[in-house]
Amino acid sequence: MTPEVLTLSETPWLFTAAMLIKVIVAFVVTLLIVAYATYAERKIIGRMQTRLGPTMTGPMGLLQPIADGLKLFFKEDIIPSQAHWFAFIIAPIMILAPAFLSIVVIPFGADFQFTYDGTLYAVPLQITDLNIGVLFILAMAGLGVYGIVLAGLASNSKYSLLGGIRSTAQMISYELAAGLSIVAIFMLSETLSMRGIVAAQQGPLWGLESLSFLPNWFIFSQPLAFLLFIVGSMAEINRTPFDLPEAETELVSGFCTEYSAMKYALFFMAEYANMITVSAIAATLFFGGWAGPFYGWINFLLKVFAFMFFFIWIRATFPRLRYDQLMFLGWKVMLPAALVNIVITGIAILLW
Amino acid sequence: MAVNNTETMTINMGPQHPSTHGVLQLILELDGEIVVKATPHIGFLHRGIEKLSEHRTYHQTIPLTDRLDYLAPMSNNLGYVLAVEKLLGMTDEIPERVQRIRVIMAELTRLKSHLVWLACHALDIGAMTVFLYCFRERENITDIYEKVSGARMTSNYFRVGGLSADLPDGLEQEIRTFAESMPAHIEEYEGLLTGNRIWQKRTIGVGKISAEAAIDIGITGPALRASGVDWDLRRDNPYSGYEDYDFEVPVREGCDTFDRYKVRLDEMRQASRIILQALDKLKPGPILADCPKIVLPNKQDVVNNIESLIHHFKIVTEGFKPEPGEIYQSVEAPKGELGFYLISDGSSHPFRMKIRPPSFVNLQGLPQMVEGRLLADVIAVIGTLDIVLGEIDR
Amino acid sequence: MFKEFAKGLSITLKHLLPGNSTTVAYPKQKLEMSPRFRGLHRLVPTQHREKCVACYLCPTVCPAKCITVVSAENDKGEKYPEVYTIDMLRCIFCGYCVEACPVEAIEMTSAYELANFKREDFDFTKERLLRS
Repeated sequence: MTPEVLTLSETPWLFTAAMLIKVIVAFVVTLLIVAYATYAERKIIGRMQTRLGPTMTGPMGLLQPIADGLKLFFKEDIIPSQAHWFAFIIAPIMILAPAFLSIVVIPFGADFQFTYDGTLYAVPLQITDLNIGVLFILAMAGLGVYGIVLAGLASNSKYSLLGGIRSTAQMISYELAAGLSIVAIFMLSETLSMRGIVAAQQGPLWGLESLSFLPNWFIFSQPLAFLLFIVGSMAEINRTPFDLPEAETELVSGFCTEYSAMKYALFFMAEYANMITVSAIAATLFFGGWAGPFYGWINFLLKVFAFMFFFIWIRATFPRLRYDQLMFLGWKVMLPAALVNIVITGIAILLW
Repeated sequence: MAVNNTETMTINMGPQHPSTHGVLQLILELDGEIVVKATPHIGFLHRGIEKLSEHRTYHQTIPLTDRLDYLAPMSNNLGYVLAVEKLLGMTDEIPERVQRIRVIMAELTRLKSHLVWLACHALDIGAMTVFLYCFRERENITDIYEKVSGARMTSNYFRVGGLSADLPDGLEQEIRTFAESMPAHIEEYEGLLTGNRIWQKRTIGVGKISAEAAIDIGITGPALRASGVDWDLRRDNPYSGYEDYDFEVPVREGCDTFDRYKVRLDEMRQASRIILQALDKLKPGPILADCPKIVLPNKQDVVNNIESLIHHFKIVTEGFKPEPGEIYQSVEAPKGELGFYLISDGSSHPFRMKIRPPSFVNLQGLPQMVEGRLLADVIAVIGTLDIVLGEIDR
Repeated sequence: MFKEFAKGLSITLKHLLPGNSTTVAYPKQKLEMSPRFRGLHRLVPTQHREKCVACYLCPTVCPAKCITVVSAENDKGEKYPEVYTIDMLRCIFCGYCVEACPVEAIEMTSAYELANFKREDFDFTKERLLRS
């Protein structure tokens, strides 16, 4: 018996309930991961630097993110007198909202099936399956830039301004490279829907039975695209070695120099939310999404955590690039490489 | 109507800034991200150490010198103590054990200072893990400091004519173990930095200064040696028995930040070599010169012997009075040539003490090293100059 | 290029393994100071009084001029410090007072947690110094 898909017109109540549950679960889980990503980052980098990391709040410092949040929540919220107050307030929201919105199109598991009233229903474990899923994510990432630019401009501080300018240039350049690198994936999967892309990665590698020990993940067909995407997204979410907009040792704190209290916390939440989004996209596009040895969403979360660990690990190890070198890498190395990759992929698809 | 709307932006970097190494203020004129003009402003940490010393006995000035370059206190102590000894004309009377221990401590100080430099330099460029690794080793040196002198930073260990105390039991072995472990640690830092493309891109060709310009300004220390000038006071004007040790003076020709980094790392390797050699040559002996008018007598004698008690009271209350005259004594401090110029008028206080701090002179190279370069290079250059504001502002 | 990146990554990863921590959880776990550590001063007591004979060597030698001594004589005709105060805000912990004392009446302990709330709290009087 093939399960029926829930629709708004035929089973409105079930559909709405399932949707609400999905939204709430996805949002809460993301928030939790954001909170504990900060903890994990401090703990992992601490260990790598032969320190202990947080230990005092709760067992092994596990309550540290909550303590941090409470502290920032109750701190005085300063708006500099020369700042443009409206833009100053709206900026953190403009960064955070797109970061969380991107989660909407990411599939985190295979269909969930259940019987109700004698009918077998299937709920896709994804908030919504947009047929332009990846484009939506790129659009949201593009929107995030506005927040940083606004923050930089509205603060009326020279350090913030420099941070904002750096960020704009950086995000625009790297979005191109990262976006173009994904194009190769579309050419292989022939769909923009995230769900479709995951479906295209099932089965043995390249459909060959002799390679059945390897899954048909796009990392094997598109290693260059993966490399470009990971580097590009690291730059896009302002992680070391591309953390120039907030380069602490150069620009004090970059675009968030003038921010305090909860607004400052929002910037950090956005940074980690972006990290989750990028990890999730990388897992979906290149590592077969929820496919793997365990139950659907567990595989997916494991892959996301692995990527986040990788980002943290990179941060602990590498120095920061300089602004002109960053631009050079973006425009003169990554962009041509992404274009070449597309051409090669095209030729390969034509030939086979 | 065509109006050229580009204008430069003046940005005030410091004195409260995470990477100006203390309270250096830089007024930067930026055209976009390019530095058009850089003006260092100093003086935020001025404590008047030179003037204070005119109202302290020679003995009382030693703890003040700890606070010059607070990352390398023993080098400052050494420079000052050697200067006073020269003024008193007792340089030849310093026992051998004292000289050996002074060399060990000075080289440990060089390691300590260079470790902090590498830590902060790497952190400024974004490699934050090196910071903690360096501080891990520095912690061992501060432990040695604490065991030998009782303080972790402001050591105040050397005395005119000797040392305040002998090395405690077992410390020689500890220093030896540490000095032997140091090259492996340096390999670790190099593993994180030297080969890394990002590190190379951030340092090679950045902050160039030619040998002529460096000599014109008076730059000394590793910054000069990385510009290809082979000049090290330990070898070229030896003091405290440095002529007994076999060590190399690393010199490189690159004139840039990367070569200064390599020179300092090589210096750290040489420093551990010197420490090991000095430990091998260390023999038991007195730790104070035999000059009862200058060095404080043994505590036991003070209690039992009236003559010693009188000497003790005289030296503590009045100090000693060098003959009128003036001398200059310089040492190769971790940052460069640290000089003390002392004028005595025959009283127990210096008539004038002039300090030649290496950081102060080296800082003058900053504007020509950064002008026309990017903002991020300013940070790299401040790091590579290895300035300490305690020394610059005195 | 990638080889060097991998080398750096392996160095940091190696330190992630347990047993590599060098820091201690400070307020809970404290390091032991060396016997020579120059911390808070302590006036050494003898029978019923302090060992100090108010000879004024320590205020004389103090480079920071933070020691105030007023001497007096007790009924037996012995000199003793009526007032002995160290201003810890001025003290630079050089240890000269200990070095100068001819009767070993002052020593330095390993106490280093000297933070306090009020300016007056840093005036260490004779009674406090005898207790410390």
